[in-house]
Amino acid sequence: MIELKDIVVQFGDFTALHNIDVHVKEGEFFTFLGPSGCGKTTTLRAITGFVEPAQGSVHVAGRDITRVPIEERNIAIVFQSYALFPTMTVYDNIAFGLKIRRLKKDEIDRKVRAIAQKLDLSDEQLKKAVSQLSGGQQQRVAIARSLVNDPDIICMDEPLSNLDAKLRVQLRNELKDMQKNFGITSIYVTHDQEEALTLSDRIAVFNKGYIEQIGTPNEVYNRSATEFVCNFIGDINRLEPPLVEALRAKGLALDPAHTHYLRLERLSLGEESALADLILPGVVESREYYGLYIKYSIRLDSQLIRAIEKNDGVHIHEPGEQINVGIMARDLMRYDAQGKAVSA
Amino acid sequence: MTTLRDRAQKPAGLRPGVLLKLFGVGFFVYLFFGFMLLPTLNTLTQIFTAQNPTTGATDPWAVIRFFLAGSMSKYLWNSVKLAVLLVITVNVVGVSLVLLTEYFDIKGANILRMGYMTTLIYGGIALGTGYLFLYDSNGIITTLLVNAFPGMNPNWFSGFRAVLFTMTFAVTSNHMLFLRNAIRGIDYNTVEAARNLGAGPLRVLWKVVFPTLLPTMFSLTIMTFITGLCAMSAPVLLGYDSINPEIVRLAGSSVADEAFPQARAALLSVILALFTIGLLTILSAYEKRGHYLSVSKTKARLVKQKIHNPVANVLAHIYAYVLFVVYMTPVVMIVIFSFQTHGAIQMKTLDFSNWTLVNYVGQQDFSYLTSRGVHRVREGAISGVFSNEATLGGIRTSFILSALAAAAACVIVVVACNYIFKRNKKGKLRKSGAVLEYSLLFPWLLPTILICYSYRIYFNSNDIWYVANQNLYYMQNVRLLIIIAYMVVKLPFSLRMIKASFYAIDTELEDAARSLGAGGLTTFLRVKLPIILPSVLAVFALNFNALFTEYDMSATFASSYGTSYAMVLQSMTREEGLYGYNVNATGRRNASTVFIMLVSGLILYLVYGIGARDLAERLARRDKWRKRWDKMKGPFVRRKAPMVKEQPNLVDIEDVVGDFVGAMR
Repeated sequence: MIELKDIVVQFGDFTALHNIDVHVKEGEFFTFLGPSGCGKTTTLRAITGFVEPAQGSVHVAGRDITRVPIEERNIAIVFQSYALFPTMTVYDNIAFGLKIRRLKKDEIDRKVRAIAQKLDLSDEQLKKAVSQLSGGQQQRVAIARSLVNDPDIICMDEPLSNLDAKLRVQLRNELKDMQKNFGITSIYVTHDQEEALTLSDRIAVFNKGYIEQIGTPNEVYNRSATEFVCNFIGDINRLEPPLVEALRAKGLALDPAHTHYLRLERLSLGEESALADLILPGVVESREYYGLYIKYSIRLDSQLIRAIEKNDGVHIHEPGEQINVGIMARDLMRYDAQGKAVSA
Repeated sequence: MTTLRDRAQKPAGLRPGVLLKLFGVGFFVYLFFGFMLLPTLNTLTQIFTAQNPTTGATDPWAVIRFFLAGSMSKYLWNSVKLAVLLVITVNVVGVSLVLLTEYFDIKGANILRMGYMTTLIYGGIALGTGYLFLYDSNGIITTLLVNAFPGMNPNWFSGFRAVLFTMTFAVTSNHMLFLRNAIRGIDYNTVEAARNLGAGPLRVLWKVVFPTLLPTMFSLTIMTFITGLCAMSAPVLLGYDSINPEIVRLAGSSVADEAFPQARAALLSVILALFTIGLLTILSAYEKRGHYLSVSKTKARLVKQKIHNPVANVLAHIYAYVLFVVYMTPVVMIVIFSFQTHGAIQMKTLDFSNWTLVNYVGQQDFSYLTSRGVHRVREGAISGVFSNEATLGGIRTSFILSALAAAAACVIVVVACNYIFKRNKKGKLRKSGAVLEYSLLFPWLLPTILICYSYRIYFNSNDIWYVANQNLYYMQNVRLLIIIAYMVVKLPFSLRMIKASFYAIDTELEDAARSLGAGGLTTFLRVKLPIILPSVLAVFALNFNALFTEYDMSATFASSYGTSYAMVLQSMTREEGLYGYNVNATGRRNASTVFIMLVSGLILYLVYGIGARDLAERLARRDKWRKRWDKMKGPFVRRKAPMVKEQPNLVDIEDVVGDFVGAMR
C-alpha cells in the first residue's frame, strides 16, 4: 500500500532521515515510534507531502507520489494540535474538505451527519464552535474531518498527547476500534511505547533518523533487534559485568563481551523463583506501590536490580527482607559491541 | 477504497499563479520605488541643488551654510527643547496615572481611569481646540482665573508653555495603554516575595516593579521624543516655532519672498528623518537585548497596594483627583458648551435656561451692529456641524480619503503578509519575503511630514512618467495623492499589527487545509483570512480613526481640494463673528469635538468590544438573542413545525438582528 524507498530528508546541513525503507500493508495500523527528534514526524510529513525528500520516493498503491501536491494525495492527517479551524463550527470543520471537492449541499450534509453519528458527535455539538468542545470531542472532530473525505490513508501525529491519562486510554481503544471498522490504512506517530504496543499491527522504531527495527509489538518487545530498541521499549535491567560473572560462575553460558538485559517482569521473586534456571539471594532495598503491581529494588550481589510482581495483596515484601530472585536463561537479551541482537 | 487522484500536471509557463506573482512583484516594486524612495531622494537632492538667489548658479552647500549661520537652528532647537521636556513631563504624569489607577489603592480608581483615558477618544487638533476653548485669553478657565487674580496675564496660554501643557496631557494615552498592560502583567508573587524578604513598599516599587516596566518605559520615551520633535497641530494652534510648522510654511513660500525656501524645508525634513532613524535604531537595539520575562509557572494577579502613611495617602488622593479634573474639565466643558447658544459661548457663561442643538444641526439668523451703528441681519449665519457646508465638506473629504487609504493599507499588508509567511520547500521563510517586509517598514524611518512634503514637491510636475505624466498635486488629483500618502504612512503600523496576527496562526491549520484538498488561495481565503479578519478590521478601524482627524499631513498638502476635517476645525479657531462671518465657530468646534469623541469611542468599542469576540462567544450571544426573540414573539407567532433537516450553515435574519442588537448593547 505505502512504500518508502531509500528516503533521505535534509534540513540544510542536517540529515533528518537516512535511507528510510518502509512498506506498510493495506489496512494495517502501522506506528512510527521513537524519542523526540528521531525523524518519525518527518517521515510522516514526507508521506503527506509537507516535506520533500532529497532522495528516494514515496509510493502509494504502486504510484509514485513523491512530487504530487499535498492537496492531491488524498491522505488525511490528524494533527497533534488537531488543527481544527477556530473560525468554523464543528459542522463546517467536518464539511471543509467536501466543500473543496464541490459536492452538493445535500450530499455534504448526509456525509457529515453520517460520520458524526459514527464518531458519537451529536447534532447539537455540530452547531458548536470547536472551542466549546472538550479535548476528547475535539479529537473526534479532527478524525471525522479526516475520514469524511474517504481518504486512502490516515496519518495521525501524536493525536492523544494533549489529553489526560484516563481519556488517553479510553480514546486509544476507540481509535483501534475505529480503524478496524473503517479498515483504513493508518500511520500513527508516537513517542509513547505503551500506545504503540497496544494499538499497532506493526511498529517501526526510529533513532537519529534511522529505523532500528520494524516488527510486531511482540517482536519489538521480546526480540528487540538492537540495544537501543531494547532500552527504549519497556523498563529493563542492564546486567553489570560483576553480576554477569556471578551468573557465569553459577553455570549460565554468558559471553562477557556481550551486553545483557533482563526485563523486570521476567524475574521471579520468593516462592515463584523455585522453577527458575538460577536462583540468587537478594535483599529488598525499596518498594514502589503501583496498585496493579509492585516494583522492587533488590540488591543482588554487587548490583541493584528492579523487579515487578503482580499485587496479590498477600505477598508484599518489606524493605530489608531477604528474598530469592529467579532468572530464566531464555529471558536474557544479548547484544554485541555494535548493539545488534545476538541469539543465545 | 478510493484511488489516488492523478491529476495531469499543468504545463509550465505563464500559468495564472505565475502571472499573479509577477503582478504582485511589479506592484510592490512600483509602490516602493515610486512612492517611497524616489520622492524622498528628490527631497534629499533638493538640498544640494539650491540656486544662489543672486547669481542663479547651483550652490550645493548654500542651504547647509544657511543652516550653520543660525537662522534655521531656532526651529530645530525649539523642537528638541519641546521633545526633551515632553519626555520628562509625559513620563512623570503618565507613570503616576498608571500607578494611581493600577498599583496603589486609590478610592474611585475606576472613575479616575475613565477620566485619564479620555485622550484615547479625542486628541490632536480636537484636543488642542478644546484646550484653547478653556485656557486662551478669552477661555473659560482663564477668564475665571483673571477675575480671581486680576494681576494674572490673560495670555498665559500661548507659545512653548501652552504647547508643553497640552501635549503633556495628550500624549499620556500611550502610557495608559502600554504601561498599564505592563504593570498588569507583573507577577504579584514577586512583590510578595520581596515583602517577605523584608523590603518596604517604596523599595519594592523601586527595585521590583520599576525594573520590569523599564523596557516599556524606554519605548514610550523614544516614541514621546519623536512625537515632540514632530509636533504639528499644537504648535500651529498655540503659536510655537518648531520644525514642522516651519516646513509647511516654507513649502508654501516662494523664492521671491525668501532664500531657497523649498531647499530649507527639505533640509529640515531630512534632519527630522535623521533624528527618527537614530532614535528608532536605538530602540531596536534596546529591544534586541531582550526584556525581563516572568519565569513564573503560575502568575498571580497584582493586588493593589495600600498607602499606609495617612499623609502620603491623602496627598496621593489629592494628586489623583487634581489630574482627573485636568483631564475631565475640557471634555465636560466642551460637551456642555456644544449645547449652548452662540451668546452663552461668547460670554463664556453657562445659560441653564437655554439649551440648543444648533451647533449640531440647523441654522439661525445672526443680527449684529456694524461699526456705523447699523443693525444688520445675516440669514442662516449660525449653523451646525451637519448643516454647515464647509464643515460637512471637511467631514466628507476626511471620511472618504481616510476610509479608502485605511482599506488600501490593510489590503496591501494582508497580501504582503501572506507572502512573507510562505515557506519554501525547505520549510524556511523566503528571503524575498524579508525584503518585502523591510520595504513596507521603510516609511517608519521617515517623519510623515517628510513624506507629504516630498509628495507635494515631487508630484507637482507633469514629468513623472510612472503616474502617466499627470500632475498629482493639481486640483482634484491632490485627493489621490493624499490617499496614497495616508496609505503609505499607515503601512508600517498595519504591517506590525497584522503580521502579529499572522504569527498567531497555527501552521498546522494550513497543513490541515492543504491535506483536505484546499489549494493556496482557498486556504488563504477560507482558513487564514477568517482568523486574521478581526485584527485586520481592528487595524482598519484604528487607521481610519487616526486619519479621520489627522491635521499634519493635510496641512502639509495645503490644498483647497483636500481640505480635511481637522483643517476645518483649525480654521474655526480664527476670529469669529466679524461682519457676521464665521459665526458660532466655537460652538461648531465643540460639537465637532463631541462628534469626533463619539466616532472614536464607537470605533474603540467595535475593535476592543465586538472585534475581540471569538466564534464561541458570538454563537453564545446569538443563542441568547434568539431565545429572547422567541420569547418576545411568544404568543403572537404560531410555533413553526420542526424542520426535517437542520441547516447549520444558513444565517437567518434573526441571527443578524440578534448580533446587531447584541452589539449595540
